Amino acid sequence: MLTPALKTTGLGKRYGHTWGLRDCSFQIPAGRIAALVGPNGSGKSTLLRMVAGITRPTTGQVRVFDQSPAEQDEKVLRRIGYLDQERPLYRSFRVGEMLKFGEKLNPNWDSAKARQYLAELNIHIESRTGNLSIGQQAQVALTMCLAKRPELLLLDEPVAALDPLAREALMQVLLRAVVEDGTTVLLSSHAIADLATVCDYLIILSASRVSLADDLDYVLASHRLLVGARDTSAPAGSEVIAGLHTERQTNLLVRVEEPIDDLAWQVEEPTLEEIVIAYLRRAEARSTSFFEASGVASGTSERKQAPR
Amino acid sequence: MIWATWRMERSLYLVSLAVLVVVAVALVLAGAHQDAAWTAFSNLHCSQPGSSSGCWSAAESYYSASRFSSTGVVVGFLVPGLLGLVFGAPIVAREIDQSTNRLAWTQSITRTRWLVSKLSVGALATAVLVAALAPVFQWWTGTVQRGDRIIPPNFDVSGLVPIAYALFAFMLGALLGTLVQRTGWAFALGLPLFAAFRYLERTYVRSVLVPPVDTSAVQIAPSNNWVLNQGYIPLGQSSPGRGITWQSESASMLNCTNPTGGKVVQSEQHCESLLKLHYVVQMQPGSHYWALQLVEAGVFVAGACVLLVLSVVAVRRWRT
Repeated sequence: MLTPALKTTGLGKRYGHTWGLRDCSFQIPAGRIAALVGPNGSGKSTLLRMVAGITRPTTGQVRVFDQSPAEQDEKVLRRIGYLDQERPLYRSFRVGEMLKFGEKLNPNWDSAKARQYLAELNIHIESRTGNLSIGQQAQVALTMCLAKRPELLLLDEPVAALDPLAREALMQVLLRAVVEDGTTVLLSSHAIADLATVCDYLIILSASRVSLADDLDYVLASHRLLVGARDTSAPAGSEVIAGLHTERQTNLLVRVEEPIDDLAWQVEEPTLEEIVIAYLRRAEARSTSFFEASGVASGTSERKQAPR
Repeated sequence: MIWATWRMERSLYLVSLAVLVVVAVALVLAGAHQDAAWTAFSNLHCSQPGSSSGCWSAAESYYSASRFSSTGVVVGFLVPGLLGLVFGAPIVAREIDQSTNRLAWTQSITRTRWLVSKLSVGALATAVLVAALAPVFQWWTGTVQRGDRIIPPNFDVSGLVPIAYALFAFMLGALLGTLVQRTGWAFALGLPLFAAFRYLERTYVRSVLVPPVDTSAVQIAPSNNWVLNQGYIPLGQSSPGRGITWQSESASMLNCTNPTGGKVVQSEQHCESLLKLHYVVQMQPGSHYWALQLVEAGVFVAGACVLLVLSVVAVRRWRT
């Protein structure tokens, strides 16, 4: 079997008493564009920083092409490109000086490509990075990542500050990189609709844990939206991810291994967005019920202790 | 990384250079003025009988010119520490503060190489600027203060030691910047810490870095010796033994030379032979100047190396 571009096993990061990410195990085969989705605070940035070797895991390990980024070896660092959420740039540098910085620190640097991208984006080489708009800073930071020509590209919310045209252009650039250089991409995003067009692998993080990590085509093929009369029992062999009940109807999003031929249900193919939301709802419901259960318990003990 | 560090720090270095040029020019002007006033005063030979009537005004103008004399020494004390901390504190702290460490640490270069390159450039800049000022202070303590460089205030601002102090302060600033991750706090903590290191070394360590000389010679050269201790010591010994101090025997000597109760006043030599004592001066003579300079500079440079290693460890283990 081919070495996966990225493999994590039991990865966890604790900040004080709370876990930013917990028990995270998945792998991404080489040459894929993987989407990392999840609500705010679900651990997406923490995961990406640990893969980039900036943050040390509390538990578990990360393997990038079967090497550990935590060892800070130049051979691994060279293969990883990382775009931080804050798009850090040296604010006193001119754009051309940022490129020179990249050129001096990276042996595989593609200077011509970097200049070509920036020219296409109308970003002037002589501008100071601190004077650029937020969107332009994001473009310069992204150009730095691409010109490094990494084999694994980690992008934390790459489209966050970009207008729709720039988003479209970025997606094209990523596709080109994957096709031309065989780059593997892991990107986090809230914009699920944008991802569906380019991504072929999906990882859903919620409440600091991995809910799903699989091939996107398989994910779409193995989930169904069922509509039936209220209180109809779910078909055999299906796992209910989320359910919505009205007075007369029940809507279920289920995971199935085989086609459903239960006449009690009307079967539809869900969109990617519906699948993602169903998983996030399930995780939220689980953490809420846990919270409520513990809340009731502590309420009881308080009553017992109250003086009468 | 050398180019990148220079590009990041150059405005700070150039501003510091400009400030130091102003300080050096001010010192040279004040020193030349004081030196000229001293030459004018000595040419009048005022200590000889029948000296010129201009002596009084020449002396007065010398005293007015020498009012910056101690200012020069104070500046010489402050420059290495301040410059080192100002250059060292932001080296890592500013990167963490602006999150650019996440950019730097994900290029194809290890954190160790990244930090060592940055610290080398910064240390070189610190050393060059302080070394450029060294001739001014060497001249100030020699010509203007007229010698005695072995004696503490002059020793601290002349020779090699200011460069070593500056390197130590630089590495201290860099380490504190790495640990507290704020430039301002690193500077604020570094200043008292650096002052404490300097004070402790100066008070308790310097005098024994090179073995001091004990001399019982009646006549010792009057100047350019750093006298550490002196007093009456039993014959056959060159320093106080167990249970006695340099001052232990002064009372019995005083009792002998200036007795109370109508006894006969004795000469000092007579009392010494009577009590079997001799007068010993423990000192670092002027000839030890360069040996002491080298050893003390070595101590601070070694300290700077330890701080460098600690910074590398802190950056490699840095976690969020």
